[in-house]
Amino acid sequence: MESKPNTIYRALDRKAAAITEFTMRQYRTKTSTWVVLGVGLVAISLVMLIYIDVMATGFESVDNDGDSLDLDNDGYPTGQELKWGTDPYMADSHPGLLDPPIAPEPASNYIDEDGFDIVFDGTSNYQSTGFDDDGDCYNYDGTSSRKDTNDNDIECDVLLVQNRFNGEWSANPDINVDEDPDDAAYALEATHMAFVLGMGKMGFVLLLGLFCPLFLATGLIRDEMTAGTMHFMLAKPIARTEVFLYRILGYLGIVWPYFISIGLLFALISGFMGPSEGFFRFADLGVWLAIVFATMMASLVYGMLFCALGVMWRYGIVLAIPFAAWELGMCLLSMGAPDASILRFSVIGWALMIVDSAAMLVWPNMDLFLLQGTSFNDDFGSIQTSALALDFFYSRPGVGSTGLVSSIIATIVLLIQGAVLWFIGGAIFKGKEIE
Amino acid sequence: MMPDFDQEGKGQTEAWRPDTTAPAVLLEGVSKSYGRIFALSNITLALNGGVTGVLGMNGAGKSTMFKLLMGKLKPSQGKIRLFGTDPWKNPAPYARVGFVPEHEKMYDWMTAHQFVSTFARLNGLTRAEAMVEADRVLKFVGLADVAHKKIGQYSKGMRQRAKIAHALVNDPELIILDEPLQGCDPLARTTIMNVIRELGRMGRTIIVSSHILQEIERITEQIIILHNGRLLALGNLHAIREKLDQIPHRITIEADDAKALAKDVIDLDDVSGISFPTKNNLSIQTHNLGAIHAKLPSVIVDNNHRIHSIDNPDDDLASILGYLTSGGTL
Repeated sequence: MESKPNTIYRALDRKAAAITEFTMRQYRTKTSTWVVLGVGLVAISLVMLIYIDVMATGFESVDNDGDSLDLDNDGYPTGQELKWGTDPYMADSHPGLLDPPIAPEPASNYIDEDGFDIVFDGTSNYQSTGFDDDGDCYNYDGTSSRKDTNDNDIECDVLLVQNRFNGEWSANPDINVDEDPDDAAYALEATHMAFVLGMGKMGFVLLLGLFCPLFLATGLIRDEMTAGTMHFMLAKPIARTEVFLYRILGYLGIVWPYFISIGLLFALISGFMGPSEGFFRFADLGVWLAIVFATMMASLVYGMLFCALGVMWRYGIVLAIPFAAWELGMCLLSMGAPDASILRFSVIGWALMIVDSAAMLVWPNMDLFLLQGTSFNDDFGSIQTSALALDFFYSRPGVGSTGLVSSIIATIVLLIQGAVLWFIGGAIFKGKEIE
Repeated sequence: MMPDFDQEGKGQTEAWRPDTTAPAVLLEGVSKSYGRIFALSNITLALNGGVTGVLGMNGAGKSTMFKLLMGKLKPSQGKIRLFGTDPWKNPAPYARVGFVPEHEKMYDWMTAHQFVSTFARLNGLTRAEAMVEADRVLKFVGLADVAHKKIGQYSKGMRQRAKIAHALVNDPELIILDEPLQGCDPLARTTIMNVIRELGRMGRTIIVSSHILQEIERITEQIIILHNGRLLALGNLHAIREKLDQIPHRITIEADDAKALAKDVIDLDDVSGISFPTKNNLSIQTHNLGAIHAKLPSVIVDNNHRIHSIDNPDDDLASILGYLTSGGTL
């Protein structure tokens, strides 16, 4: 046997594989493992059920500009009267009196009649866009200046202006332009994206990525020390730093497949349930991939940290809980202020940056989409609510010029954090007296 | 220390060369204290080859000494060497050491074969090599036929033997057994004692601890006596026994008529005193235990005494310790 060449497989099949396999088997025999994984699945599945319900029910479209009403009771909705230039407030002025007479249209034609068509080409920080789909601006009975309420000398357009300080865009539409978009479609799309990001950040990276290691990794070495079984492992010619690493690998061997399978399940459900042109939202898979990857990276760093805390003190979980609270705070902060520098002192700030980067790559028009939903303030109930939810969960990555660069930086930082914690944890373990 | 990326085990690589001239175990002025309490104080000894019994009451420092040897604890003072290497923060010497911890807790969900082969791989064996090695050591300790049963279903003696098998992987030169006989039934004790004696015959250095004199007596003659963290004695058990015969011994006999028996016993040469702890109990004091034991049966049979039990309450570790701590020397 000794004469066989020492291949990489043969080399790793000794200590590393032995402890890793052993740790995975040990997890599988413990009821607590299944309880933690089960509770995690149930918790995020409940949120998933709400999403499924919303997607299945949909949103009801609202007449945002009120032009489906027949204010003068002449049988013609306001929108139709405005289109033909008759007076919507006088019963004896309506398109039926024109020659040839125009038949009244149903009121439903004037719900969702002018959708968003803002196109942002990114060439200038002051640009005109938008189109009056239903003609109620072009046909509006008024002077040229009344059709150009945003004063950019172009009638019936939407003016986009970028704030030179914070880089945010604001939209200023002329009267009756894009005034009644399809609420249902917008809200569904915005809610879907908000769900994917919210579930990814709060459900996966925070809940699964933080609580799985909190309950599974803290006792990884400590439980063995308390039970006395650590003596079997440490009686062998193996460095404790190695034991620490391979125990972590065993823990990852349990939680990573768990994250991947739940991520796949959720990606499939939301891909089929979410609004799309085809039957499945393929592009979203990129975001889900980033979510699962970010969760895996977070669980790696947290695993190293909590395992080290467990080695340090018998009640390591007491030390881990304040840290978990800190991470929760940082998670919420990253939603509002993704470029706050305090986030750099957290794990979750970097992990969420991976999700944000992927969202930016997969949904490149996100800023514009949010602009549409949040800039037309009045009477846009479901649009505004869903846009605000999406706005909360979506943030531009605080570091890096492009999504790819941000995600690579974040990944490297997380790997460094993991490596540093491994060395610290290994050093603590090495100097630990074991009774 | 950087991890061992080549996975070979330090004992087999060039990195660590064992000092072949150094004794297996060397302790020089070793103390271990917890605050102001000394678990071990100023122990100096060197062991190489043979079976050594470590005797001591609970809390005497036996386990502390073993944990110091195994690098689990750091000595407060003094020098510890395993094959010439300091074991603290250096697992290299363990390639040549097998350790049986006293802890009862084991991995009940594993079979003995899985247990032994998994940990054998930490010695740098591949999966296949570890399987072969596990078969060998489990056969050696007599667990071959139950090797594939879960440890959780094992009796106490079988569990101890599984722990011993775990320690015997890779054929260590030094084997440390912490209370291997504790809690075992008589049959298991005999089996484990045979295993230890067999290892001794194979030329290994073996250190085995116990708090029961008779157990150690059946395994080895070379003993170390620890008491309250101090090394009380180091030497041959028979020498100690002879010394013990010269100090007063008691024999307690439970009889139907203790007073009648006393009348017959008092005339014997070596009896120095008699007392009655309870109504049916007779306690005989003597300086020559062997002579009394030789004469007692005939006295009892000739005079038709009905006897329920005969006991030598001093023939144990406590009496040796009492003798040694009260100024006696070996």
